Amino acid sequence: MRWRVVKAVAWQAFLEFWRSPAAVFWTYGFPLMMAVVLGFAFQSGEPEPVPVGVVDSPVARTFLAPLEDEPLLDVAWLSPEDADRALGRGRVALTVRWGQEREVLRSDPSRPEATLARLLVERRLREAYSGEADYARPAHEVEDRPGSRYIDFLIPGLIGLNLLGAGMWGVGFNLVQMRVGNLLRRIFVTPMRRSEFLAGYLLGRSVLVVPEAFAIMSFGVVLWGVPFRGSLLAALALVVVGGWVFTAIGCLLASRVRTTEAVGGLMNAVQLPMWILGGTFFANEGLKGPMRWAAEVMPLTHVNRALRDVMLEPGTLLDVWAPLAALAGAGGVCFALAMRLFRWQ
Amino acid sequence: MSEAPAIDLRDLRKTYRKGRETVRAVDGLDLVVERGEVFGLLGPNGAGKTTTVEVCEGLTVPDSGEVRILGRAWRGGEDDAIRARIGVCLQETKFHENANVDEVLRLFRSCFDRGRTVDEALALVSLQEKRGARQKSLSGGQRQRLAVATALLGDPDLLFLDEPTTGLDPQSRRQLWQVVRDYRAQGGTVLLTTHYMDEAQQLCDRVAIVDRGKVIALGSPAELIRSLGAEHFVVADLVDPDAAADDACLLALPDVVAVERRGERVECTVASVHTALPAILAALEQRGVAIDGLATRHATLEDVFVHLTGRHLRAGGEA
Repeated sequence: MRWRVVKAVAWQAFLEFWRSPAAVFWTYGFPLMMAVVLGFAFQSGEPEPVPVGVVDSPVARTFLAPLEDEPLLDVAWLSPEDADRALGRGRVALTVRWGQEREVLRSDPSRPEATLARLLVERRLREAYSGEADYARPAHEVEDRPGSRYIDFLIPGLIGLNLLGAGMWGVGFNLVQMRVGNLLRRIFVTPMRRSEFLAGYLLGRSVLVVPEAFAIMSFGVVLWGVPFRGSLLAALALVVVGGWVFTAIGCLLASRVRTTEAVGGLMNAVQLPMWILGGTFFANEGLKGPMRWAAEVMPLTHVNRALRDVMLEPGTLLDVWAPLAALAGAGGVCFALAMRLFRWQ
Repeated sequence: MSEAPAIDLRDLRKTYRKGRETVRAVDGLDLVVERGEVFGLLGPNGAGKTTTVEVCEGLTVPDSGEVRILGRAWRGGEDDAIRARIGVCLQETKFHENANVDEVLRLFRSCFDRGRTVDEALALVSLQEKRGARQKSLSGGQRQRLAVATALLGDPDLLFLDEPTTGLDPQSRRQLWQVVRDYRAQGGTVLLTTHYMDEAQQLCDRVAIVDRGKVIALGSPAELIRSLGAEHFVVADLVDPDAAADDACLLALPDVVAVERRGERVECTVASVHTALPAILAALEQRGVAIDGLATRHATLEDVFVHLTGRHLRAGGEA
C-alpha cells in the first residue's frame, strides 16, 4: 500500500465533505443542537413519577390511600373498566385493586416501566402496613388478555412508524435524487404542471404504504393474537390519510433541497423527535410541559392513537373522524406549502 | 404567428453571483434562429452557450433582454403553450435506473395533449429493440437517443440539443446525427450546442460562435471558414526547431496568407494547396531547413475561433 495514495484519497474525501455545508451541518451542527435541546428537556433533576391506576372503591380508598403519598407514583383513581383500558393503552404502567384480603397488582412485565411501578407500589405498601399482624404481600397478575398487552400497544404504533418512514423517505429522498440527476429540470421543460407532478408522485407513493401497513397489521393479528375490534374501513382511512400526511411532509422537506445528504439530515431532524415522542414505544399522554405540547402537534401521535382506537377498541369512522380530518388538513397544508416552495432545479 | 422566427433573442443579459464574484454569463447577446434550420451555438466552456439555451428553454430567467420562442415570450401566460411546442434534450438527464425505455417514454408522452406515439418515437431513434430494456442496461449512446426520443414525443417545432454527443463513440454520434437530419428533413428547427467542430460542420445550416457572452461570428460553417481568407493549411515539422525558416520569407510566397510557429511546427494558411505547397518546400530547401513531417488540412471552425480570439475553443480539453 502506498501511503501517498492513501493520504491523497483521504485528503480528497475530507475536502469533499468539508466543502459541502449541508453535510457539515447535519453531521456536526445537528447532533450538537439535539444534545442542547434534549439536555434542556431532560435536565429537570426530578425523576418523572410513574403512572399507576387504582381501581376505585370505598375499601380501596381506605387501604390504598398511602400510595398517594409516594412522590414517585402518579396515582389515578379509575373504574375497573377504565383501569383495564388505561393499562392496555399504556397510560398507566400498572393497576392496583383491592382483592379479598390483599392488594392485587396487574401489569405486563414486558412494558419498560412495569417493574419499576410494581417495586414502588410494593415498597410503599410494605412501609405502610408491614407492622400489622395480617400484612400480606400483594399478589401479582400478569396482564395477558389480548388487547391489553404491550404487544397490542406496540403493533399499531409500528404501523404508524412505518407510515412515517415509508411516506417521508419514499418521497423526500427520491425527489432530491431526481433533482440531482436533472430529471426534475427535464420534466420542467415539458407541459407537465407542478401540481400534476407532485400529486401524481404523492399518489404513487402513498398507495404503496397501504399494503405495507396491512401486512404489519395482519402479522400482529395472526402471529401475536393482537385484536382487531374496530372498523376495517376506519383503519383503511387512517392508513391512507397517515400515508398522505407523511408523504406530504416528505415532499415539503424535499421541495428545495439540492443534495441527498441535506434531505437525509432534514428528514432525520423531523423523524427523530417523532420516534421518541410520537407514542409508538410508550404512551405519550404522561409527558409534561413542552414535551407534551411537542407530542400533541406530531402527526404520528394522532395516527398511533387513532389506530389503537380502531384496533384495540371497537372504534368506527365516527370515533376517529376528528384525527382523520386534522391529519388530512395537516397533509393539505404541507402539500400546499410544498407546491409553493417547490423548485425543479 | 407562423412567420415569427423559431428563436429571437435581443440584447440578452444574465449575470451570476459566485461567492463575491459576479460572472457575466451572457452579455448583450442577439440571435435569430429561423424556422427549419439546424443552428449551432459554438464556444468554449463558460462562453455562455448553456445559459443562452437555458434562457430559451425557460429554465433560466434573464436579467434583461427580449426572448421570443416561436413568437411567444416566457412568463407571459403562454409558458405551457411554448413547452407544448418545444423538445428539450439536456446535457445529462438521469432517468430512473429501474425504469425501462417504454415506461420513460410513456411518462413524457403523458405531458403532451398531442404528439407522437411511443412506437413512432422509438422508431425515430432506432431503439425499437430496446423497448423493454431498463436504463441500467443501456449504453451511453442508447441513453442519449432515449433522451432525444423523449424530446421528440410532443412532435415539437423546435428542438434543443445541449451537447448531445459528448462522450459518445463515433458510431453513436453518427446515429444521433442521422436523427437530427431526419427531424430537420421533416421541417423541424434545431438549436444545437456543441464543442465538436466536425459535428457543427456536418449538421448545422448556420452557426454562431459565442465568446464571453456575445456572438462574435455568425454564418454558415462554409462562410465562416471562407472569412479566414484561405481554407487550407500546410503544416511542416522541422528537424531543428531553431532552424532559420523565417516567417517573412514564407509569408512572401504566393497564396500563403498567414504563417504561425509553434515550437518545431510551422503552420502556413494557404489559399490553394497545389500552388502553395511546392513553393513552401522549395523555400525551405533553399534555406537548408530539413523537415521530418508534412501535412495539409482543411480549415475548420476551430481555426475561425482561433483567428477571432487568439485562443483555442477547447483549451486544455480533448483534441
